[in-house]
Amino acid sequence: MSPPPDRPEILDSDHLSARTRDILTSRLSAPETHPRTLSLQAYAVLDALLPVLLPLDEILPPGTDINMTARIDAALSGPRDGWRFADLPPDAKAWEAALLTLDDVAAEQHGIRFIHLAPDLRGTLLDALMAGQIGLDRDGRLTPPQIKRWAGDLRGEVVDCVMSDPRIQQALGISSSLTGGDTVFQGFTEVGPDSREDFEPKATAPLAQMADSRE
Amino acid sequence: MKTFAETDIVDAVVIGSGAGGAPLAAELARNGKTVVVLEAGPAFTAMGHTPDEIAARELYWLHERLSAGTNPQAFGGNNSGTGLGGSLLHYGAFMPRMDARDFHLHTETGKGVDWPFGLEELLPYIERVESFIGVSGPASYPWDPNRRYAYPPPPANSAALKMREGCDALGLRHADGPAALITRDVEQPHFGTRHGCANCGACHQGCRNGAKSGADNTWLPMAVAHGAELRPGCFAHTIERDSAGRVTGVVYRQNGVEHRQKCATLVLAAGAVETPRLLLTNDLANSSGQVGQNYMTHVSTQVWGEFDEDIRPNRGYPSLTITEDMMRPKDADFVGGYLIQSLGMMPATWGQNLARSTTTRGPAFARALAGYNRSAGMGINGECLPRPENRVTLSNEKDAFGLPKPLIEHSYGPNEWAMHNHAASLLSRMWEAIGAKDIRVIDRAAHMIGTCRMGTDAGSNVVNPEGRSFDIDNLWISDHSIFPSAAAANPALAIMALSLRTADAMLKA
Ligand SMILES: Cc1cc2nc3c(=O)[nH]c(=O)nc-3n(C[C@H](O)[C@H](O)[C@H](O)COP(=O)(O)OP(=O)(O)OC[C@H]3O[C@@H](n4cnc5c(N)ncnc54)[C@H](O)[C@@H]3O)c2cc1C
Ligand code: SF4
Repeated sequence: MSPPPDRPEILDSDHLSARTRDILTSRLSAPETHPRTLSLQAYAVLDALLPVLLPLDEILPPGTDINMTARIDAALSGPRDGWRFADLPPDAKAWEAALLTLDDVAAEQHGIRFIHLAPDLRGTLLDALMAGQIGLDRDGRLTPPQIKRWAGDLRGEVVDCVMSDPRIQQALGISSSLTGGDTVFQGFTEVGPDSREDFEPKATAPLAQMADSRE
Repeated sequence: MKTFAETDIVDAVVIGSGAGGAPLAAELARNGKTVVVLEAGPAFTAMGHTPDEIAARELYWLHERLSAGTNPQAFGGNNSGTGLGGSLLHYGAFMPRMDARDFHLHTETGKGVDWPFGLEELLPYIERVESFIGVSGPASYPWDPNRRYAYPPPPANSAALKMREGCDALGLRHADGPAALITRDVEQPHFGTRHGCANCGACHQGCRNGAKSGADNTWLPMAVAHGAELRPGCFAHTIERDSAGRVTGVVYRQNGVEHRQKCATLVLAAGAVETPRLLLTNDLANSSGQVGQNYMTHVSTQVWGEFDEDIRPNRGYPSLTITEDMMRPKDADFVGGYLIQSLGMMPATWGQNLARSTTTRGPAFARALAGYNRSAGMGINGECLPRPENRVTLSNEKDAFGLPKPLIEHSYGPNEWAMHNHAASLLSRMWEAIGAKDIRVIDRAAHMIGTCRMGTDAGSNVVNPEGRSFDIDNLWISDHSIFPSAAAANPALAIMALSLRTADAMLKA
């Protein structure tokens, strides 16, 4: 199998253990079937929401897609991290309910589904969601206080997905996966400011180049 | 490893192999007692740990906990751990000693609760722990010049250096903090070679070279060397008793099969959520009504800033610089005090904090995340008073074992908010003074404390000052749940010291 064209260089570093390399490499391919957890409708809302919440075009090389929607949808059916807010239903249910709430509110306020809203209107609804100003008090939907709580889960999940992606780590110049290999556990020799070691990636993202440009 | 038959009546079964369970298991075994340690989690190998934060969740306690109250804790990476070694597998290894004043907070201030003894009682055990597991620290500690550490500190990373500057700018003293890691290779008795810290920065994802002093590379090998049996993958759920009410054994599940281990004494060391859950589901040792009550955390406010330099916060031991100057600040409008420590952090954990504490979106959110390599943080660890509304109870929801999931209610009171505000302002001023930009305050609490309080009065405490149940004389508790007050210091050192002390009491009993 030939490697995906956007295979980040950090994956070939000998400062990476085989296990960590496998974990990171698995994130390069999109989950095969989707949606795995959400309904088609909720999945579409999430897909339309993510670029408004966290656009990655100024971080990733042009044309790179890290398949955030599919990965988050799959993660919701995978092992979770052992807790949830007591006032929310279990994660998969909470996500479905939150996304459908957003879709219903879009329809009520604008007469069209969330996915058809212009990006700025999607953004305004997202702001209202994070402020706990929208919500629906009926079965299978979330109330305003619930949806405000869920907004934290949404943001957290998105960040987990983004910051653990090797393409993002490469683009932002992050060396956190390169703690050491299997035969030699190198760690870091330099740990102070402005002391990037040769094996550590340099930021390529337009948004993150400031620090590296000082070298 | 020696093994026991389920029909053997072992001297002690210990449930949980973390900071509370492991030292005691080693100490009992060393003194000739037969010991079986039941641990719900697996046996990990150090080199198998991964710095990948998502995969490293395997180190967290993963049976779902429900978080409630006005400050519900976002557990995730802050949750307790599982596996042989417990939470020490993913703890930060910051190892300050408890301040002598924190043992007597009520006497000092009229608020909070006193411990039933003072620092002088715990100090010999603290020194034993430090010398056995290996703790690094400065040659001279400004707040306790007589103290000595066996290993020199690891190199200061960017955040540690920045915090030094921030302290200097505001006239605060600072030092390299005590860290439970070794900075040169050693032969650990009963374990083998532990290597010096490689500054990899992934302490919270599991140390891969044995530098971090946990239970897996210190107490547990010692326990095994003296004949204790460690049983990973064993989830204890039922405590059996005789007609007189004394414990006779424990029923646990391993690979889907129920087993029973008989014992003469039982030690609960399952942590401040699972220990009360075990007692509540078994309806045991609760004549005081205090099991699950007095749940506390540490006020753990963080303040992050962005710098012009390439900081790379994943590199180096994460939290080296400390100041204890805020243990009793003169301008405080709260009781108790807090420690300040520098913070480096791995990217997803850092991003989670950022994401959950702000509502930025769009390009501004992307820009904030792209600032990772320029970010340095400081965090506090501060006193939290027990409050009646903060507690662990059983929810109506069942987990995969058919047991009620724990509900953890946590709300800050006026004292916690006052401390948070004080720290937020001070730490922000420190960062401002040295030119940090985009300063961000993160309001958060950490650690799970209390719920089976120790004290002298059987009416308001679960265990006596030695950790023994007031209700059942062959039941002992040795973990973070017995703390009467939170105290400012990061807790693992005191938990291990108390564990050795409880073992002494058991040997004399
Ligand atoms: C992210 C993080 C960072 C930390 N950093 C620091 C630090 O830098 N310095 C510091 O001093 N402290 C730190 N702490 C706190 C410290 O790690 C804990 O307070 C301490 O380890 C708790 O010890 P314990 O014995 O109470 O519980 P644990 O160490 O959590 O041990 C409990 C064990 O019991 C097992 N168990 C639970 N229920 C059952 C059951 N029913 N059957 C069988 N086994 C069971 C669990 O799997 C676990 O292994 C940190 C904690 C966290 C979460
Ligand atoms: S920084 Fe040092 S102690 Fe921490 S995990 Fe890396 S090698 Fe171990």
